Amino acid sequence: MGWQKWLLFIVAGSSVWVLAEVVSRAQAAGPTASSQYVTSGVFTPAHATAASAFKDFLDLHPEHPVQPIAFTHTVHLAKRMQCTTCHVGVNRGPDAQIPNVTFCMGCHMVIDTNNPEIKKIAAYQARREDIPWARVYNYSPSAHVRFNHAPHIRAGVVCSTCHGDMTKQTTAERKVNLNMGFCVQCHKQKQVSVDCATCHY
Amino acid sequence: MERRNFIKISALTGVAATLDACRAPDKQLIRFIPEDNLIPGIAVWKPSLCTLCSAGCGLQVRVMQGDAEVVRHGKQGVIKMGLAKKLEGSPQNPVNAGKLCARGQAGLQVLYHPDRITKPIKRSGARGAGQFQVISWDDAVKELTSHLTALQASKSANVLAFLGRPLRGQRRELIEKFLKAFGAPPAVWYEPFDEAVLRQANFLSFGHAMLPTLDLARADYVISFGADFLGAWNSPVAQSIGYGEMRRGRPGRRGKFVQIEPRMSQTGANADEWIACKPGTEGVLALGIAHVILSQKLAPQSAGTPAASRAGSQIAGWSAGLPEFTPEAVEEQTGVSSAVMMRLAHEMTLSGSAAAVVGGAPLAQTNGLFNALAVNALESLVDAGRDEGPILGFTPEPPLSNAGEPAAPAQASFAGLNSFAQSLLDGKAGAPQMLMLYEANPIFTAPPATKIREAIAKIPTIVSFGSFIDETSAQADLILPDNAPLESWVDSVPESGSFQSVISLAPPAVSPLHETRPMTDLLLGVAQQLGGDLARVLPFTTFDAMLKAALLPLRAQSGSVTATTDDDFWQSVQTQGGWWSAPAAAGLKSAARKPAATPADKQAPTALTAPEFAGSAADFPFYFQPYVTPSFGDGSTANLPWMQELPDVLTTAMWSSWVEIHPRTGEKLGIQQGDLVEIASQAGSLRVPAVLSPGIAPDLLAMPVGQGHENFGRFASGHGANPLSILAPVVEHTTGSLAWAATRVKLARVGGPEQAKLVLFAGRMSGFPHEEEPR
Amino acid sequence: MSHKWGLVVDLDRCTGCEACVVACHAENNIPTVGKDQAAIGRTMQWIRVERTWEGDFPNPKVRFQPVLCQQCDAAPCEAVCPTYASYHTEEGLNGQAYNRCIGTRFCANACPYTVRSFNFYNPQWQKPLNLQLNPDVSVRSVGIMEKCTFCVQRIKSAEIQAEAEKRDLKDGEFTTACAQSCASKALVFGDLNDPHSEVSRLASSSRATKLLGELGTKPNVTYLERGAWQDANNG
Repeated sequence: MGWQKWLLFIVAGSSVWVLAEVVSRAQAAGPTASSQYVTSGVFTPAHATAASAFKDFLDLHPEHPVQPIAFTHTVHLAKRMQCTTCHVGVNRGPDAQIPNVTFCMGCHMVIDTNNPEIKKIAAYQARREDIPWARVYNYSPSAHVRFNHAPHIRAGVVCSTCHGDMTKQTTAERKVNLNMGFCVQCHKQKQVSVDCATCHY
Repeated sequence: MERRNFIKISALTGVAATLDACRAPDKQLIRFIPEDNLIPGIAVWKPSLCTLCSAGCGLQVRVMQGDAEVVRHGKQGVIKMGLAKKLEGSPQNPVNAGKLCARGQAGLQVLYHPDRITKPIKRSGARGAGQFQVISWDDAVKELTSHLTALQASKSANVLAFLGRPLRGQRRELIEKFLKAFGAPPAVWYEPFDEAVLRQANFLSFGHAMLPTLDLARADYVISFGADFLGAWNSPVAQSIGYGEMRRGRPGRRGKFVQIEPRMSQTGANADEWIACKPGTEGVLALGIAHVILSQKLAPQSAGTPAASRAGSQIAGWSAGLPEFTPEAVEEQTGVSSAVMMRLAHEMTLSGSAAAVVGGAPLAQTNGLFNALAVNALESLVDAGRDEGPILGFTPEPPLSNAGEPAAPAQASFAGLNSFAQSLLDGKAGAPQMLMLYEANPIFTAPPATKIREAIAKIPTIVSFGSFIDETSAQADLILPDNAPLESWVDSVPESGSFQSVISLAPPAVSPLHETRPMTDLLLGVAQQLGGDLARVLPFTTFDAMLKAALLPLRAQSGSVTATTDDDFWQSVQTQGGWWSAPAAAGLKSAARKPAATPADKQAPTALTAPEFAGSAADFPFYFQPYVTPSFGDGSTANLPWMQELPDVLTTAMWSSWVEIHPRTGEKLGIQQGDLVEIASQAGSLRVPAVLSPGIAPDLLAMPVGQGHENFGRFASGHGANPLSILAPVVEHTTGSLAWAATRVKLARVGGPEQAKLVLFAGRMSGFPHEEEPR
Repeated sequence: MSHKWGLVVDLDRCTGCEACVVACHAENNIPTVGKDQAAIGRTMQWIRVERTWEGDFPNPKVRFQPVLCQQCDAAPCEAVCPTYASYHTEEGLNGQAYNRCIGTRFCANACPYTVRSFNFYNPQWQKPLNLQLNPDVSVRSVGIMEKCTFCVQRIKSAEIQAEAEKRDLKDGEFTTACAQSCASKALVFGDLNDPHSEVSRLASSSRATKLLGELGTKPNVTYLERGAWQDANNG
């Protein structure tokens, strides 16, 4: 009879949650723009909704986010482009640049201009908009991780270790689950620090 | 099955459907194409300049790429842009040498303040009711030019008034040229704590109508009469750098520092010896010490040089050895014992290099000029100038055609404001019909007796270039918000703080976040549009062109930039954050004092005048001293949350005002720490919490300036009270400067802590032997 | 060579200007809590300037003393943490692993210097003040204890840079935000394992004391006592 108790628990829990969600939405939708010429709104590390908190807690995230452009890593890498051509800064600092529309059009002004996806990019540029790429890899803010790409690359860790084989991917997929176990395992193997403060500060 | 997995699975099965339904509606904002070419995660350091006080410290801004919500091409969206993350002092700048004060650090919050006016607005309700509507920049500029064209057409250009905070550099040049070419009267430069008295005194004593620069790093003995030089006075960062060196920069030599003031300031708290004298008698005390030095012939030889004797000649009876100022007579007037005076005289003259400095409250008395001249005379007597010249000197003005030292001190800004207000209240022909308002808030900072609020209300058209709604700009009809300083071309010519001449200058460190426009470019654009004289005198479309034209002549001068072409020179000036002359050679500092040779010396020596106060001692038993805090200045940074939540270092109070009362006075009047008290003067009254402090004379009440805003955004409005609002309009007799320390008040308890709501910083160590709460 | 980070506070140089306090807020994403929370003692500061009054008018004396996490070698906070969130890092800092912190606040009770701040609520920044937040430092959320890290992000960044250039860290190559702002150079940060560093030289001064050293916490922050005019000039 144990499972029935659990079912009751789950149903009751989710209804409370749905209610909480509705109430908090209603509050959020209240009058915030008291003025048109000063800034309103608040930034807080709190999760915007209970759902997002829940997903964060369970580490639920799309494995293959839908991107606005059907970009193909396969094609670009087959043409012998380097990762760093587009992901500038990855070997110099913490982050990797995600190319913006101007960058893409740098080549695609002349290359493959009739491709419908390239036309989409050109349309973004014509509208003076950037491509709203969806984030694939990221740490949740509540993980308090300060990851820095550059030292990993200098230590000879190849990109595919954490990002999978990009030559086989169109838009990027989250092939590797970058949880702490994954990081620590490699750090231990390579005999580098596993002190908390190496990454968490 | 692991517990975590169990939760995962049951949750997934139970609520999968709900999850999707409740997916956070990610705000689908458009992404704009980045305007800056920055690499994410990598910080770039860009030069800029701190404008939160007049010291003109150079900045280094840490800029990193980040996402910001902005409006571009009329659409709301997100853009990756350079964001300012941290401010540090510029290591090259001779004034602040890589250091920055608390207020300067908070410059970031000016840039990212939520109350910044993000687009041009026009008054839509009654004046001062705070109702504005957003208009386009095209309409806003059109409105501004049409007002100006109307004035020109009606041949009444003289009714255009400009009210601003005193500036030094090309921004001032631009405004002054604009007004002159337009045919308008000169700008009214107003700040409540102007240094007109000190400039006048330094002009008479040393030949320079400027604030002094102190070479504290070389000093062995400093006596300061009320100058809060480690807090908010003059160039605090430069002075703090020197102070550290004076204390511990020279092994085996630790300079002594004596502070004379009736209310212990942050500076006074650091003194080896703190001496309270009666308010307004600082000059008498200085001459008492000078009397001892003169009569006992303690002064070093160099005191007899022409440059040194100039300051003395300003004081009546100096050459006769100040017969009136015997230690006993001075003791009676000042309340400082004659033994202390004699000891100070000996210590000072026995020390290697000594200096006497005056600033703050002693100058804000009716006899302020006398106090300043007296301290200056003592200074020239003891600051003998060993090998490298005196400790107290002056910053050379940069060799620019349109800069240069003022030949005579400018009018006191309070006098200027007063006559401005009076002309409006009288309603005579030629009274201002249009006002341009820039970074000044006289409704908050001027005593109500000036009737500036009523006067400004009479002006038909008020245009403000401010970034924030404050008490004065709330009266405006049109607000054309300026870029924040970190988003603008900025320049300043520091008046003090270095023995090199300095021009701090920098391009924008970050792109504008909001739909604001630089006031400088706006004025230049209007000048071009109006044509005629204006277009000829200001032949630039943007302010950077004007800055470049002004600075290029410096390429020929020896200084921090050597370049073979104009463009190289201009590029180097921008990367370095300004231009400064080569470091002063030894001996140059002493030459900076002019000997008695100018017509000013023919002025009759100043004789002792006693300070006068508004209000009789019987009705108003307490002296009242408002004081400037490092965090708020004149109140214009009270809207920064970091400044509000920074505990006052002596009282630990925050988010409020308070009045400092001596515990004995409190006991007499039944006032305890945190009680609500009422302070009343002839001019008005206010209510604040009481803080009992042992560092204040029992017959004095002191209150910080900056709080008490009624209309200055979400962080400043409604906290505390404004001490300037109960000041009587007493002026320093010679210069007409506001004597803000010359009002007397009475005090009464009107409520307990629950009404007062004093907020004190709670953090302190339990094991630390701190003092009993004063009761 | 392993590092041992230390800070020297010269009380004879400190002017109580509190530039360090604001610099720390800016560098480390420390929120402001507002008047109501401040009134019940929930202000967050990783460094504060304590002041002590002695005596009375006309001869009152004030001592200013910047107090921050002393990064103790025998830290009372570490011993009491049930989740090992407060722990000793390899470089001898008193680390605070935010992920592990469950908000018992035992560490704050144990700390004799009361330098720990607790997030009673989720911190808030009125937009766009959040654009200033330092991406090199975590934004802490509700229920987390936080305190001075000796600007560990600056330490890490300098170490990574030195490693990239295959060299040792140089003394004075980087410093903490508080020390960088300090005009009178009252705060000096550096490596105590480097005998030639300025911080080592100052820490061995005859004026050196440890705050509450009698408790046996072995702090890595050293205070240099104020001197009197006569002392210095009489040798």
